[in-house]
Amino acid sequence: MPMKGRFPVRRTLQYLSQGDVVFKSSVKVMTVNYNTAGELSEGARKFVFFNIPQIQYKNPWVQIMLFRNMTPSPFLRFYLDSGEQVLVDVEDKTNREITEHVKKILGKSKEMLEKEERERKKLSHPATFGPKKYHLRECMCEIEGQVPCPAFVPLPKEMRGKYKAAMKNEA
Amino acid sequence: MSVPRGAVHAKWIVGKVIGTKMQKTAKVRVTRLVLDPYLLKFFNKRKTYFAHDPLQQCVVGDIVLLKALPERRSKHVKHELAEIVFKVGNVIDPITGKPCAGTRFLENLSDSENLTEADTTYLSEKLQELKVCSPDK
Repeated sequence: MPMKGRFPVRRTLQYLSQGDVVFKSSVKVMTVNYNTAGELSEGARKFVFFNIPQIQYKNPWVQIMLFRNMTPSPFLRFYLDSGEQVLVDVEDKTNREITEHVKKILGKSKEMLEKEERERKKLSHPATFGPKKYHLRECMCEIEGQVPCPAFVPLPKEMRGKYKAAMKNEA
Repeated sequence: MSVPRGAVHAKWIVGKVIGTKMQKTAKVRVTRLVLDPYLLKFFNKRKTYFAHDPLQQCVVGDIVLLKALPERRSKHVKHELAEIVFKVGNVIDPITGKPCAGTRFLENLSDSENLTEADTTYLSEKLQELKVCSPDK
């Protein structure tokens, strides 16, 4: 049963998370003006079709607006927090070139992303147990090689408190 | 805890003006792309904001850039008009700076009226060269 649509791979989480453009925190709004016809706008159209979902997935707080057939030339415009505007002409560029350019000018660098990743990892200790929201595992019984959960497999007699107490009383 | 600017989360937003019936206030519709959790597709979600427009220069249909005010101006107005990005009926192409409508320019782009004799002869020579080259390809 295939997925519906022209390129349904665009609607998979794996594809969306493959986007590598993460904007710097100063970018607030991104505006794309493109045309629905014409060879020069082809790259911009492909960019909107394939790459905009990836970008919006990675930057949920950036407002992205698309304008069709407003001007003859396609362009991108970014509005930064300082009031600065960045105009990017995308006439006669492939969508790959556009994403590379945008990543170079306004994207977080790889080192920064890795640093943030490490910071986030530092906050949570992987060896602790607790609720799924904050820890990896809830109980020792989830690990292979450890005593299985008594809810599914009854514990051997010697481990049960009832038996131990009886033994103690006897002795 | 002091908030230096913006009593509201959205500091800069771009939207379309949908109403100017209020005095010195523009009603702006802002669309953001929101991911549908099941379809995993982005859809436009609308929200209306009220923006302070002291000179009442907005017309319905303009695309405007709003800036968050440091404090709320009134119960609903938390933004002010920063600039009009595209004026309706009078769109200026930012790359060339010329007025345009849809996918065509309104004024003639080429400067053929200002060419001198020397320019025309130079250009015609270049064209002749091109004509000679083309059969070789």
